[in-house]
Amino acid sequence: MNILLLTVLLTIFSNPSDKIQIIDPWMRVGAEGKATGLFFKIENNSDKADTLYKAEFDLAGKVEIHETYDAGNDMMGMREVGMIVIPAKSSFELKPGSYHIMLMKLKQDIKKGDEGEITLFFKQSGEINIKAQAKEMMIKKMKHKH
Amino acid sequence: MKQKIIKYFILTLTLFLNLTLFLNLTLLTGCYDHFPLDQDISRTQNAFLNQDSVEVEFPELTKGKITLMTMVFTHCPDICPMTTHNMHLVEQKLPDEIKDDVKLVVISFDPNRDTPSVLKKYAELREYDFSRWSLLSGDDQNTKEVMLKFDVKTIFTDSTYSDDGELSYNIIHTDRMSLIDQNGRLRNNYKGSVVNLDEVVEDIKYLSK
Repeated sequence: MNILLLTVLLTIFSNPSDKIQIIDPWMRVGAEGKATGLFFKIENNSDKADTLYKAEFDLAGKVEIHETYDAGNDMMGMREVGMIVIPAKSSFELKPGSYHIMLMKLKQDIKKGDEGEITLFFKQSGEINIKAQAKEMMIKKMKHKH
Repeated sequence: MKQKIIKYFILTLTLFLNLTLFLNLTLLTGCYDHFPLDQDISRTQNAFLNQDSVEVEFPELTKGKITLMTMVFTHCPDICPMTTHNMHLVEQKLPDEIKDDVKLVVISFDPNRDTPSVLKKYAELREYDFSRWSLLSGDDQNTKEVMLKFDVKTIFTDSTYSDDGELSYNIIHTDRMSLIDQNGRLRNNYKGSVVNLDEVVEDIKYLSK
């Protein structure tokens, strides 16, 4: 319970902007020198569209915004995208098999449970710092209907 | 009217008998199969090094076992780790009495970068059990032959040299996980990153009967 409360508080206090909310950030485990992915959901609560155009991570030699795409014939590819636009009053999810922040040339192993601080740059909301924990895969939360 | 009813009855009976005969013949001759594929991949062997740099031959390595295999490159940040993670989840979902009949094999289609030690670290970070998992790296010829067997294709893209002279590139590749039976026959291919885990578990259970 305390861990849950702490996680909620960390999420709230790591995000100074109330217009842009970063939900459930996590990164996949990765080996030194290799690349891995960072994933999260962006909620834009403002009346204006906002654009994610850059990210920085101290433990990566290079960081880019990427998209995994279906290249046809059961083949999958990946390409850099310059930015992600989040329309007003909407959300956008960076998730496995889709858009992600590509953390390249990792300066050290990122093991399960490791935590990293990443800075996201938005055109309207400016810099937003987030903390992401390393996992092998996001565990889907159970939804309860009442 | 009566003649019409008799005619209709005879026609229906004939159709029913034909269908029964067809089903019996299909089952007796073994034409019906649970799996869409039945391709012998054990006629030729390919040489690789495993994660401990021990020379092995595939598919001889997993002879007599049910094998779940995939081809990956460890620089892949998304699809390849999703596929190996799905293999890990399948392993975890298997009943204990079947687990020892199953081997999991990962072969790199980027062997120049994926040396045995690189593959070992990839597995260790994900806590794979080496009593069941083998991660293989080979030369270009053996790698290409296995790719051909499993119909795995690659396109190398975005080649660039960084300031320190290191070559980096990305690979568009087939997203595939394959199931091989105890007799070295390829029985099914799945889209590895988004595979239905329960389907693979059921297929493995079917083979283990």
